[in-house]
Amino acid sequence: MSLSRTRTGALLATPTILYMLVFFVVPSLILFAYSFWSSASYRIVPDFQFENYLGSLASPVFWKVTFNAIRIGLFTAAMTLILSIPVGYYLVYVSRSQTMLYLILITWFSSYLVRIYAWRTLLGTNGVLNTLLLQLGVIDHPVSAFLFSPFAVTITLVHIYLPFCILLVVSSLSEIKRDLVDAARDLGTSSIGAFFKVIAPNAANGLVGAFMLTFILVAGDYVTPQMLGGSSGQTTGLLIADQFRKTGNWPLGAAQAFLMFGVSIILYVVITALGRATGLIVKRRAKTEREI
Amino acid sequence: MLLRIIVWAILAFLLVPLLIIILFSFHASPALSFPFAGFSLRWYEELFGNAQLASAVIKSLTIALLTALVTLLLGATASLAWLRFGRAGRGMIEALTVTPIALPGLFVGVSLLVLFAQSGTQLSTATIVIAHVVIAIPILIVAMKARLALFDPSLEEAARDLGASQMQTFARVTLPLIAPTLIASAILAFAVSFDEFVVTSFVAGTETTLPMYIWSMMRRTVTPLVNAISTLALFFSIAILVASWLIGQARRRSAIAGRLEQLEPLP
Repeated sequence: MSLSRTRTGALLATPTILYMLVFFVVPSLILFAYSFWSSASYRIVPDFQFENYLGSLASPVFWKVTFNAIRIGLFTAAMTLILSIPVGYYLVYVSRSQTMLYLILITWFSSYLVRIYAWRTLLGTNGVLNTLLLQLGVIDHPVSAFLFSPFAVTITLVHIYLPFCILLVVSSLSEIKRDLVDAARDLGTSSIGAFFKVIAPNAANGLVGAFMLTFILVAGDYVTPQMLGGSSGQTTGLLIADQFRKTGNWPLGAAQAFLMFGVSIILYVVITALGRATGLIVKRRAKTEREI
Repeated sequence: MLLRIIVWAILAFLLVPLLIIILFSFHASPALSFPFAGFSLRWYEELFGNAQLASAVIKSLTIALLTALVTLLLGATASLAWLRFGRAGRGMIEALTVTPIALPGLFVGVSLLVLFAQSGTQLSTATIVIAHVVIAIPILIVAMKARLALFDPSLEEAARDLGASQMQTFARVTLPLIAPTLIASAILAFAVSFDEFVVTSFVAGTETTLPMYIWSMMRRTVTPLVNAISTLALFFSIAILVASWLIGQARRRSAIAGRLEQLEPLP
């Protein structure tokens, strides 16, 4: 029995493709269908109406939490990218330190909840930061505002998503030849100059990709804002999760999930357009186009 | 050098919170503050008498093991298919398998929840494993893609030309080349599953995994017990990562040895 290469390939790919169709594509489609259904007294009725979308768009609460999610997402993603770039630059061009790479991987694979808990410990009223500052005499009574503030939410989210963003930045910088950087340095550019004149324009697509991926993951993260933000930590993610866990209005939750998805896509288009308009992102030839 | 200082400061930012958790897990007093009142193993002793925790750990280990096995099987077949596909086929596999990595866990969680509700599937250990595989596959595919780019398909052709059957070619040529990366990726799948919380919280029903148990503890009180559990979980993740790294190293060494043999002149 001898099958052609592609036939064998198709046969081998079938289990994985089926798995992803059944457990990823189909569920997403059902969720989309749900978003047009209606929910009356805890019963979900198949329907085709736009009330879930229109109602959400008309609701001040929805806009308030969505703006909160976008603000947290944009600010955290920007901070994360800014911190990732020096680390990525160092790992790619200065020292291919395996130790450092593995330290980053360890933080990436350390438990999500543990890291949230760590920041609660650090920032709490009787926490490490407060007692330390008290002893140093910087403050004379514990600051309760460290915890349950946008500051606490942002620092924790940066901590959680930084390792992932660093790895994305490393992979996008790796594609820029070292020779280009060396040439710029030989011609007398500083390392910061080399970054802005040589690396940034070439890696722009990858860096924008890293920023957007971090943004989407951060804006959709509802556990951290809830645990560290208190009442200031209400985000769309929490609203959606509560529809599925508490209120029981699944169609409304589904519609809000797709609205959030839509907001992310709009933001992506706007950021890319801004990048193109300012000349930061340059369209590259198809041959050098990078794949995620 | 300025860059060096900045980079190590960022690394310290990543590591210090974890080190503080480890430090306080050995604290003799329940206070989570300095001055340090001395070392003790009291929180660990309390943990080992906790039956609920033990059952959560066993549940998480079982789920992680099943997730790793399913991911390994699907990843192996997908990788072999990848080697046989052209650009279009690869693009399709990639679009289908890598997308979940770019979506918040919330989205994956609620969409699986509606699938299970719509099909009348009871939420159980099985539904958790199904969900974890959906998140683990993208990671495996991304890792395999980088390795498979180095795979030389002419090796398979050579084996076939020399009269090896399809099965022999697979067992003697293809498998030994891709196995180390596959196993390392499966170990990562294990680690991802062991730690997964957001998606699990939607599809777990009444099951309690370790992260769900930690979550319920975190919500109730700030207890130093969480420090001890976290430390153990952290060391467990590090052990898994080291295991996967060692397997990767073994692969590299055998590949280098193979090259050297090729280069050495025949006697």
